[in-house]
Amino acid sequence: MKHSRVVVTGIGVVTPIGTGREHFWTNLLAGRSGIGPVRSFDTSAYSVHRGAEVHDFEAENYLSNLDAAHLGRASQFAIAAARLALADANVEIASLDLERAGVSMGTTSGEPREVERFDDLFVSKNLERVGPEFLALYPSHVIAAHIARELQFGGINIMIPTACAAGNYAIAHAFDVLRAGRASLMLAGGSDSFSRITYTGFAQLGAIAPEVCQPFDRCRKGMIPGEGAGVLVLEPLSSALKRGARIYAEISGYGLSCDAHHMTAAHPNGEGAVRAMKQALEQSGTAREEVGYISAHGTGTPTNDRLETLAVKRLFGDAAYRVPISSIKSMLGHTMGAASAIEAAACALAVYHDRIPPTINLREPDPECDLDYVPNHAREHTVRVAMNNAYAFGGNNASLILKKCEEPQKGTKSTNKI
Amino acid sequence: MCFLWLVNSMRNRVVITGAGVVSSLGDSSSSLQLSLCSGRRAVKPVELFSTAGLGCPLGGEIPCFDAQKYLGRRNLRPLDRTSRLVASAAQLALNDSGWSGSILNQEEVGLVLGTMFCSVHTISEFDRRALEVGPAYASPMDFSNTVINAAAGQTAIIHNLRGINSTISTGITSGLQAIAYATEVIRSGRARAILAGGADEMCFESFYGFDRAGLLCRSEHSAGDFPIPFDKRRNGFALGEGAALLMLEDAHFARERGAHTLAEITGHGCGYDCSQGEDEESAVNSIALSVRRAINDASAGPHEIDCLSASANGSHAGDRHEAKGVFAGLNGQTRKLPVTAIKSMLGETLGASGPMQAIALLETMRDGVLPGINGLEQVEDDFAFDMISSDNREIDLETALVNSAGFDGHCCSLVLARCNEN
Amino acid sequence: MSTDEIKARIKKSIATITSLSPEEITDTASYKDDLQLDSLTILEITVDAEYQFQVKIPDDVLSEIRTVDDTVRVVQQHLELAVA
Repeated sequence: MKHSRVVVTGIGVVTPIGTGREHFWTNLLAGRSGIGPVRSFDTSAYSVHRGAEVHDFEAENYLSNLDAAHLGRASQFAIAAARLALADANVEIASLDLERAGVSMGTTSGEPREVERFDDLFVSKNLERVGPEFLALYPSHVIAAHIARELQFGGINIMIPTACAAGNYAIAHAFDVLRAGRASLMLAGGSDSFSRITYTGFAQLGAIAPEVCQPFDRCRKGMIPGEGAGVLVLEPLSSALKRGARIYAEISGYGLSCDAHHMTAAHPNGEGAVRAMKQALEQSGTAREEVGYISAHGTGTPTNDRLETLAVKRLFGDAAYRVPISSIKSMLGHTMGAASAIEAAACALAVYHDRIPPTINLREPDPECDLDYVPNHAREHTVRVAMNNAYAFGGNNASLILKKCEEPQKGTKSTNKI
Repeated sequence: MCFLWLVNSMRNRVVITGAGVVSSLGDSSSSLQLSLCSGRRAVKPVELFSTAGLGCPLGGEIPCFDAQKYLGRRNLRPLDRTSRLVASAAQLALNDSGWSGSILNQEEVGLVLGTMFCSVHTISEFDRRALEVGPAYASPMDFSNTVINAAAGQTAIIHNLRGINSTISTGITSGLQAIAYATEVIRSGRARAILAGGADEMCFESFYGFDRAGLLCRSEHSAGDFPIPFDKRRNGFALGEGAALLMLEDAHFARERGAHTLAEITGHGCGYDCSQGEDEESAVNSIALSVRRAINDASAGPHEIDCLSASANGSHAGDRHEAKGVFAGLNGQTRKLPVTAIKSMLGETLGASGPMQAIALLETMRDGVLPGINGLEQVEDDFAFDMISSDNREIDLETALVNSAGFDGHCCSLVLARCNEN
Repeated sequence: MSTDEIKARIKKSIATITSLSPEEITDTASYKDDLQLDSLTILEITVDAEYQFQVKIPDDVLSEIRTVDDTVRVVQQHLELAVA
């Protein structure tokens, strides 16, 4: 059976450095940081105080059918990113077969602020104030469900909450669904909101850096929790060509693996990460030497960055020293379930524009991290193939391959039907 | 039909070689079936936590659940209740399908877990402790269980499951969706063996949510009304809990290793109701679409379905939508279709529900008995089912339709076919 | 509070967190090498000790905590600091 080829025709993002593809990409290339003092709750009882929050976000700007008051923050971000992606792809919803338009999203926490509200009332002995809406707001599947309800998409609707690798998992699933012909269009990505639960947990693990996120730097001290959403419009190549859509990149394969080692620490040999990357290359028919850019998981913790470097070297051998590899978490912080979706968007843009975003705050090289991390300044570089890596609690590893779709002409802006 | 057969014959076939279930009615397929067929009801007054002040005092909790019984002497403190349920069910499924520790060292077996909440209880406890004693004293170990993929991660560590590991969250349909997801992975040749199914634990936080949303059955006294799927008197469901996993394998691989095959997953389908049950036509159409997609995927006709294991749990609108949706999906051919609804006895086990339905059907394939719907006396007049009652029914089950549908708009359907060639 | 009292409470917590028997939890057994405890479990033991004794151990001291004796010593130091 001939499988459809799957391409990225729209990008929508809500991030600490900008909302919307253009704003985001401009700031990414400029090395702008979205990290600052946490504003959404009081951190005086914590030993760390910095985060990467999305400021000045008005959900109402993106909603036509649903009411922001009935949506958690991660759902609001997700809907905004979905609408932005569809607009970016020039897709008219009215032209879609809605039963074949689907949503595949990832998240780490779902809507934790709803649980926090529940807990605040519980602790203050006011639980009776928890209303009937709690159930409709909290469980993680609501994020994909809310997107579908806002857009009236009646196709596949799935939530893959595989923590910090969730975006890649969701995009991989959408890729499979489209390849098998089970949908005509998929919105795929990830979303997470800033939460005190997540912040408290990472603080307790000693994982949060006091000031900045410095992936691969010798003095790196940890990650910075963030929030946001990234959504890609994915469709079969044939339909993108038919409607003259702009094609950013082709999704050509992925690899998934599980460390089965430790809940919060990666395998000490980078074993699971190597398997995921290897599978992704094999499935997409890509040779190691063809990879022109690696978007690293690069959280900025001492362990992750060292092990990730080790894994890349184990798989790529000497070629590892010739592949630019950068971590945009240096600018965005760690947006959790949205991270690898936003990073996939950055990869698609890197492939499309032949430009690579930098790893900022990289001042002192670490002898154990000696690859080319594109320090501090964006770079022009031909990127035929990009690899997007993500690693998560629970040992979930995911690598996604995006390639230049060189076959068709780059589409002009016109509204076309699917 | 020919074209579909050709397409379907070019993808790998997916068989079930074992099952593991930890439920309020038994911790094996056979004990679960025995309980269901004797009309034993797990739904009773909740003891795990206080239901004072809530409208519903009933639930289908697993009494005295002790994961040590399944997992041996290892330290289970790092695992919360959901993780323990899943790891236990995984052990049972691995035993049942003949996967020993040494084989697991050589083969990358995957795990795809469906769960609606994973552990909202752990998330909440972690947060409440931080609120009460300060964030500096929050438990790092509990934090590792606050991610929704925690149970899948913990289980992979315990059982050395290094293949694809994924968590699916689609409300009540999570478990069946997980099986569908795993089926596609094996069909595509990406994996040869995956444990797939679902779990959810009973906890105060989710119970409270369902109760406040008005979804639970109401009872004036603890021995009163229970969930009665499809019955005119139904007024809600009772929450349950459990974990159920199927070992899915590529048929060729299973045959080569001499595995016992219980059934084949021949088709799956799903849909999404954007009205979330508010609009009956939309809800019915989504379920009909899900059913049609599943039977088309199985290259089966409606007349070939020998029974329906319904998702019906006693929800007033939900049961109705399912009855109408299955009727439409099977082109009206439901009069002579035997129907069971095991949530009448187990309660609504959320992520575990669809896989539990599938496991019960494996037993029906073996022993020819389809459990009756406990408490059912007065079927709604316009539900087009004639072969539905509280009595068990003897059937020769070749092809079954398993349905999962939730108040949140998700629906998922699976077609199982008996393997006759053992 | 005496050293023995502190030690007894810490050992009791360790038994709860790890399911190890009291005989295995000796004063000098290495958490990592002898008791085979992973980093998350060792952190849990430390945070639990902080909570029990209402002290806060700085992150840069955590890596010094390798045995029961280390935990007791660090807790005691911080209890004395709190009193001073």
